[in-house]
Amino acid sequence: MPLDYRISERTLANGLRVVVNEDHNVPTVTVNLWVNVGSRHEATGHTGFAHLFEHLMFQGSANVASGEHFALLMDQGGRLNATTWFDRTNYFETVPTGALDLALWLEADRHGRLLAALSQENLDNQRDVVKEEKRQRYDNQPYGHAIADMYATVFPVGHPYHHSTIGSMEDLDEASLEDVRSFFSEHYGPNNTVITLAGDVTPEEGFAAVERYFGGLPASAAARREPVEPLPPLDEPVRLERREDVPSDRLYLCFRLPVDGTDEFFAASMALDVLGGLATSRLYKRLVRREHLANSLHAAAWGLVDGVSLGFISVDVADGVNPNRAEAALTEELDRFALEGPTAGELEAVMAQNERGWLQHLASLDERADAICGNTLLHDDPQFINTILDRLGAITGEQVKQAAATYLRPRNRAVVAYLRAEPPAGEEPVEPVTDLPSGLSQQAAVVDKEDR
Amino acid sequence: MSTDTSTATEASLPGRPPVTPPADWTMPTATRWTLDNGLTVLAYDVPGQYVLSVRLAVPALPSQEPQEREGVLGILAHTFDEGTEEHSAEDFADLLERSGAALGSSSSEHGVIFDLDLPRTRWDEGMTLFGECLRHPAFPDDEVARAVRRRLADIEQEKVDPRSRASREFASVFYTPDSRVSRPGGGSAASVRTITAQDVREFYRRHIGPVGSTLVVAGDLSAGPAGEPAVDVLATAERIFGAWAAQPDPVVAPQQPQRAADATKIVLLDRPGSVQSELYVGCLGPDHDVEGGWAAYQVLGFVLGGAPQARLDAVLREEKGYTYGVRAGFVPRSKDGIFLSSGSVRSEVTVDALRLLLEILANARDGFTEKELRSGADFMRMTAPSRFATADDLASEAAGLALEGRDTGWSQQLLDDLGRLTTTDLDSAYERVPVGEWTIVVVGDAQVYREGVEALGAGPVEVRPA
Repeated sequence: MPLDYRISERTLANGLRVVVNEDHNVPTVTVNLWVNVGSRHEATGHTGFAHLFEHLMFQGSANVASGEHFALLMDQGGRLNATTWFDRTNYFETVPTGALDLALWLEADRHGRLLAALSQENLDNQRDVVKEEKRQRYDNQPYGHAIADMYATVFPVGHPYHHSTIGSMEDLDEASLEDVRSFFSEHYGPNNTVITLAGDVTPEEGFAAVERYFGGLPASAAARREPVEPLPPLDEPVRLERREDVPSDRLYLCFRLPVDGTDEFFAASMALDVLGGLATSRLYKRLVRREHLANSLHAAAWGLVDGVSLGFISVDVADGVNPNRAEAALTEELDRFALEGPTAGELEAVMAQNERGWLQHLASLDERADAICGNTLLHDDPQFINTILDRLGAITGEQVKQAAATYLRPRNRAVVAYLRAEPPAGEEPVEPVTDLPSGLSQQAAVVDKEDR
Repeated sequence: MSTDTSTATEASLPGRPPVTPPADWTMPTATRWTLDNGLTVLAYDVPGQYVLSVRLAVPALPSQEPQEREGVLGILAHTFDEGTEEHSAEDFADLLERSGAALGSSSSEHGVIFDLDLPRTRWDEGMTLFGECLRHPAFPDDEVARAVRRRLADIEQEKVDPRSRASREFASVFYTPDSRVSRPGGGSAASVRTITAQDVREFYRRHIGPVGSTLVVAGDLSAGPAGEPAVDVLATAERIFGAWAAQPDPVVAPQQPQRAADATKIVLLDRPGSVQSELYVGCLGPDHDVEGGWAAYQVLGFVLGGAPQARLDAVLREEKGYTYGVRAGFVPRSKDGIFLSSGSVRSEVTVDALRLLLEILANARDGFTEKELRSGADFMRMTAPSRFATADDLASEAAGLALEGRDTGWSQQLLDDLGRLTTTDLDSAYERVPVGEWTIVVVGDAQVYREGVEALGAGPVEVRPA
């Protein structure tokens, strides 16, 4: 049975799509904007720029002083932030109903008139802040570069997802005011944006308020390019090994999945749940519960739009266990699953957990507005939150099996291995896994070097 | 192509719109019952919340663990659902996941909280499983052994994470060794390694039961428009927990931690090659029962280190670009608390960042402005509807307070107090904080800043290996 969140949609003359989810349970409104620009749009030599730009959106615009965006909204009980990812950049705040107009006014000013307040000082300051963000979250953390290594290993050089959203220090250092100006002109504008209001507002009020502040902005953003060509699954395994001062050996098995929003992606995502997403998952049972090869194991599918999505399984190898043994058990289960497919009980558990997960996600206005906005921008599907559970429920065991056989075979994997600098005494030395063609390991390492 | 839209469209933006003050909002209130065995039951009806959040808060304390078995409560909290008298660990996980429910747990110096989240449509079967694992857990030998190994691995991870490492060192420097909170809540490698399933069963038998415990249920409990029956919280609580026998050991109050006499010092945990320094700076703070009320400290935390425009980040982040963000706030304990500031800065600016941080906190003694008071108090007050909007938010707040012997009426009182605060209240609240008696831990490359930190004169400096 579909869910029945009330969702209304209108497109302004300048191309801004406005979606309103009316819900009067709480006297607040969440304002959420998705702009169709992310790190996938960054050119070589400009990695990390979409995110740096997002920081500058808080440093003032034509009618707003630097730092005022946060202060004005927080003074009114607003909670706000922004995030940047491969596919998009989003800006959001949840405010008491009476501050909705102020929030829209602030958003319209920075989304339409940012450059009037741009200064070298602000750029230099936020460049420093972003570099500290990179150091804190990645450079100064154990396994901190694993995520970037995953992207660089599973996606080829030149692919939009080959580099991470945080980018490189060198590229951040090179960012100039002219880069900011041209990025804004090319990517920001109502015709490249969706705005969603969720909460204590009627559709008529919401449409009128958005028109009031955004209606005068020109459709300034350049047309989007087409998505890049679909990227087929790897047909030979690829491997990148790092020896570092990490507390335990960790393996990331990465897979290229179909693009987000397709039944095939949902089926692959459910396959990863059956394999490693739940406490009853096959890999968890075998590696963690029964054979004690791993301390923990996680699996996830990240839906993306540019020709490919990312699936991965991460394994923290137990002390004293050769990581190759853990990997061998893993690949054996991948092969078995591709042949057998899921049992009815496994599918039931995955669906039951999906259902609770989505209902819980949609229980908060912030998350709900985000889900509506994202699916409108990237998949032209404002009603997504009402239909997703039915769509998932219609995926058959045969589809899950087919997805596993196509995308999640051992030969489709790219492995990123973070291994302790020196194996503890008593542990057998790590030999290359047997199904890895010679030369590929080195090739992946070179690929990664180009990235940083 | 690159036309500057700012001039072209300036005229079309209306003036800055006024804000209509929010209507009065009050915390949802609970229906409260007490079962014959002493279990308190709280039900919050929150319309539109179709996933119900259930919390069982039990006053079983880390300070009740035998010292050589510290971490046993944490292991209990991680294994209570790994098999019951009726079902093996795998079978139970299977039943639970197919019911759409999710279990979790957390523990603190005040006790342990067991979590269940489940779709409203699965209420009866979910609660039956919750009762089964809480009343008849098996703590199988192999599952406990696995949880011990997992905890040992986590301890290794915590050691290398700069923030966890700083936090752990801070607690051991700040508190006396007799204070349980001077050591990790989840135990140390030495104590955890010795924990057996028998230890867990014994701790469970003695300390987990209905006396002093609170069951919280939050979510949409009313009858639905499509004929869904109302959720009968009391009847279900009686069915699941009504016959639960009292735990034999008496419930005791959490231990009152003591600050160490020599806590005023600077410890540099040396990690050669670190690209950043993790700063962890604290002194004694108030607890929830502080004279004058807790509300002032919520505002002080916000004004000093709760936002990008707060005093610390206005300088350290927005002016200097030293950090992604430094946070300050008041951490209450059962007696007193900690006034804590923390964040990471790049290695080469460590001395200047620390100097500025201490200077900003010292200068705050000169007083707070009316504007700061308003922004902090209004933020805390007016975010309440969204901070407590979901069943999860509300149930977690209620369960945490229950372990302190409070209910969400206390949260409402806090919101009311926020509206009445004056700058004099803020100033005298901050006057009570012994600013200057700092315990400082820095995790990073000590050689880069050791001499400079010594020259700050903020306390004796000691370098330790990380």
